Amino acid sequence: MTSIVDIGRRIELVPIDPHFNDITIALYRQEIDTRAVFRVHTYSHIKGATKRIEEIIGSMQTLGGLQRTSDGLLYFPCGEKHEAACRRVFLEACKLTSDTSAEPRPLSILDKKSKLTISVESLGNGTYKVKSNGEGRSAERRISAIAGGLMKLGELEPTEENSTDSVTFPCGQSHDALVGLLLVRAPNVRVIIREEEAGAARGVLAAPSQQT
Amino acid sequence: MDNDKYVVKPMSGRERVLAALRNEPTDRTPVCNPTSVATVELMDLVDAPFPQANREPELMARLAATGYTELGFDTIMPVFTIIQESSALGCKIQWEQKDNWPTVKMREPIWEDVDDISIPNDFLTHPDTQCVLEAIKILKKEYGDEVAVIGKTMGPWSLGYHCFGVEPFLLLSLDDPGKTKLALDRMKEATVQFGIAQIEAGADALTLPDHATGDLVSGDYYKRYLRDLHIEFVERIPIPLILHICGRTVDRMEYIAQTGMAAFHYDSKNEPKESMDIVQKRIALIGNINNPETLFAKDPEDVHAEVVKNLEAGVPLIGPECAIPLQTTIENLQTIPHAVQDWHNSQP
Repeated sequence: MTSIVDIGRRIELVPIDPHFNDITIALYRQEIDTRAVFRVHTYSHIKGATKRIEEIIGSMQTLGGLQRTSDGLLYFPCGEKHEAACRRVFLEACKLTSDTSAEPRPLSILDKKSKLTISVESLGNGTYKVKSNGEGRSAERRISAIAGGLMKLGELEPTEENSTDSVTFPCGQSHDALVGLLLVRAPNVRVIIREEEAGAARGVLAAPSQQT
Repeated sequence: MDNDKYVVKPMSGRERVLAALRNEPTDRTPVCNPTSVATVELMDLVDAPFPQANREPELMARLAATGYTELGFDTIMPVFTIIQESSALGCKIQWEQKDNWPTVKMREPIWEDVDDISIPNDFLTHPDTQCVLEAIKILKKEYGDEVAVIGKTMGPWSLGYHCFGVEPFLLLSLDDPGKTKLALDRMKEATVQFGIAQIEAGADALTLPDHATGDLVSGDYYKRYLRDLHIEFVERIPIPLILHICGRTVDRMEYIAQTGMAAFHYDSKNEPKESMDIVQKRIALIGNINNPETLFAKDPEDVHAEVVKNLEAGVPLIGPECAIPLQTTIENLQTIPHAVQDWHNSQP
């Protein structure tokens, strides 16, 4: 009898959870009544695996502002899928150990590259403005780069064609928790892309002639 | 391989695969994995993770069985890695973790000269070859009537890379063809011994990877060094053999078709139609569903399209082109047998 369950399309995978017995944890996307919902799932039957999944679901609620159904499915209050952002929330939640409680991330960070404090202000209707405590071309460049990072990581859009500091969610709703989470990674999107590429290459069998 | 579903009675997966390997009619095109279909999620499902599932027969068998019980393939293939016999020959192995493949440490070769080649007396009783033999016995007992159990024995060209190192072995082949042939001749005994042991354990067919891959080795090289050896394997290993070579290989398919091997497990770098045109039913083709792009990164609709492309070209056994990436989605893998069934249902 088959044990595989039809739980939608897998959109993200943590092949090894170092915080719980190296189990594999995945994020699946489903459509229920035209609404995108997400399920955190493991096929592991190890004792405690279900509890670990519950912890990750709880962390995703806190870190990404997601809500949960009685079935444990997650969704954004706006009803949109924000899939790329949800994947990041999932990955960040999986990084937390069982004894670490998730805390919402603030809407400001210290940008290590410029030593500036970068903050993001919610202007309402899903629009956010990136600001810094400094001035000059360096500050402008970092603001632009971080706004670009938010767009890439969270599939946000520029508020207008030439805007370099303001971004908006297509759903028109505020997502403060989500923006706080993305802001931590937005200053260095290239690192994330490199991590993703390395992760994707892992587990792909190469012919002996391609191995070292 | 003219399928006629009105004539051929319903077959078990085993009957279907073996008939296709004999170039006989089948009730539908078999779904076959001559190489691994293990994934990290399937490892969790049956609690048989890498690296243990490469070293403990019960775990190896349990994980391999999911190819049939969960994915719906007509075959079970427990030899996930390409390093079992190299380990038994004495190579150092990096066993890695659950999410990665074990590899031979080829920068620390065990042989430098042809005279160094020696197959240890414990080659077939070494834990890493024994594991395969025991796993095949378990699978044969449990699923032997339902599906084809496929083993694997590495060819001498692959063993040459592992035991001499890739660069030294290729340089030897350039500098001294005589010594290279002698080396292959000595290493082939490992291929034969391990193959026959797997037959005795219950294997229905054997994959024989011999990595004369399209990127490093030409078609002429294949003809010069390997064609006759592969003919010899067909004569000495009395079971359907499935040759596996990665990469673009149309320049050697003519020679491969002359070997008498039952099938060639071919890469997506080769078009199904051009490949079928070359082999002309002298050897069955298997595989071609792209791993790194389609199965790993695309959607079931894309997998479906590649399966249909192979079926339309008349490819007699359908499956992934090589060992699938360990992070492949289960949904994409299940799509392969579903697409085959859908296609047959849609035929007039």
